[in-house]
Amino acid sequence: MDSRVLTITSGKGGVGKTTTTANLGTGLAMRGKKVAIVDSDIGLRNLDAVLGLENRIVYDLVDVVEGQCRLRQALIKDKRLPELYLLPAAQTRDKNAVNSIQMEQLCQQLRREFDFVLIDSPAGIEQGFRNAIVGADEIIIVANPEMASVRDADRIIGLVEAAGKPEPRLVLNRLRPEMIRRGDMMDVADVLEVLGVELLGIVPEDEMIIVAINKGEPIVYDKRSRAGRAFLSAAQRIMGEEVPLDEIEDAPTLVERLRRLIGFGPAIADRRVRS
Amino acid sequence: MGVFNFIIGRKKPTPSEVAKERLKVVLAHDRLKVNPELLELIKTDLLSVISRRLEVDEQHVEVQMAREDRWDKLHAAVPIKRQKISFEWDPPTYTPAAKVLQGDKVRVEIERVEEE
Repeated sequence: MDSRVLTITSGKGGVGKTTTTANLGTGLAMRGKKVAIVDSDIGLRNLDAVLGLENRIVYDLVDVVEGQCRLRQALIKDKRLPELYLLPAAQTRDKNAVNSIQMEQLCQQLRREFDFVLIDSPAGIEQGFRNAIVGADEIIIVANPEMASVRDADRIIGLVEAAGKPEPRLVLNRLRPEMIRRGDMMDVADVLEVLGVELLGIVPEDEMIIVAINKGEPIVYDKRSRAGRAFLSAAQRIMGEEVPLDEIEDAPTLVERLRRLIGFGPAIADRRVRS
Repeated sequence: MGVFNFIIGRKKPTPSEVAKERLKVVLAHDRLKVNPELLELIKTDLLSVISRRLEVDEQHVEVQMAREDRWDKLHAAVPIKRQKISFEWDPPTYTPAAKVLQGDKVRVEIERVEEE
């Protein structure tokens, strides 16, 4: 089976890239895949904390790229899943410590060992972002249903296309069904109409995520959490499974609205999201 | 046209509807680097073309860029004055109609059809 490199990016900061990367990676590993998660947010590392592995860092991505250590030495095995590994970011350097060619080579190396390589991109559109997408086969954009986030997501879509990568897929994060019902928040159909990309998953706002991050245990382990289940569904879709879009209560009515949108007929109309 | 729905002014839009409409406009602008000056120039050009054929209410012309169904579209709402719809029309000089307009008399022959 061919390895796949996926970069998770967003443009806007604080929308849930790191949480999404950690949970998608964990979800894929829970389904038996061998996964490497790469934190490319050099200088502001967080993936280690979200995964609860911050005490185990010896070497980091910059060390590998500069030849200070072998890749194997820098990869940290997850506490819970034997097939999940983290390559942490450097904390005392910045995004210019690594260039695009080095990142691409790193991705090639990782490809040989893993089924999936997930790269957590930093916010922004500068070198850090460019490094994060250069080696990717697929891009996942995380956005919140809120004007500023969607605007930045649109810009990222343009940059991704300009870089010659395939059209990205969207994880719409931090939805609040109650606000959507009141008309205070855009719903899934609104965001898709504006952005025009395929949907990978929808994740509701969930207080338990903050708890999960504080404890260093990704929410995807918690079957009671809607957000956890949503991340797991998204991970399944990445693997090509057809999972119905029922992450939030109003999903069926949303699907009806999506059905009426031009161009979204096939994928969404039969209540499934294909990978 | 979704962009102008609020100008027609039905019920008050919800924040989510406002956000969506604002996004459509701002994304079209972001993507195409369309600035207000460009829109003004387009507006002036449009007006001069349309007012050759129809009388336009220039004060209330709206020109806007918005995203719709994967396309960035230019929308123009051009109110036309009802009373005087005048148009220039240069008919070719050799047609009978042209001659009538110029005041010439035109001979018309009628064939009577006998009904059985």
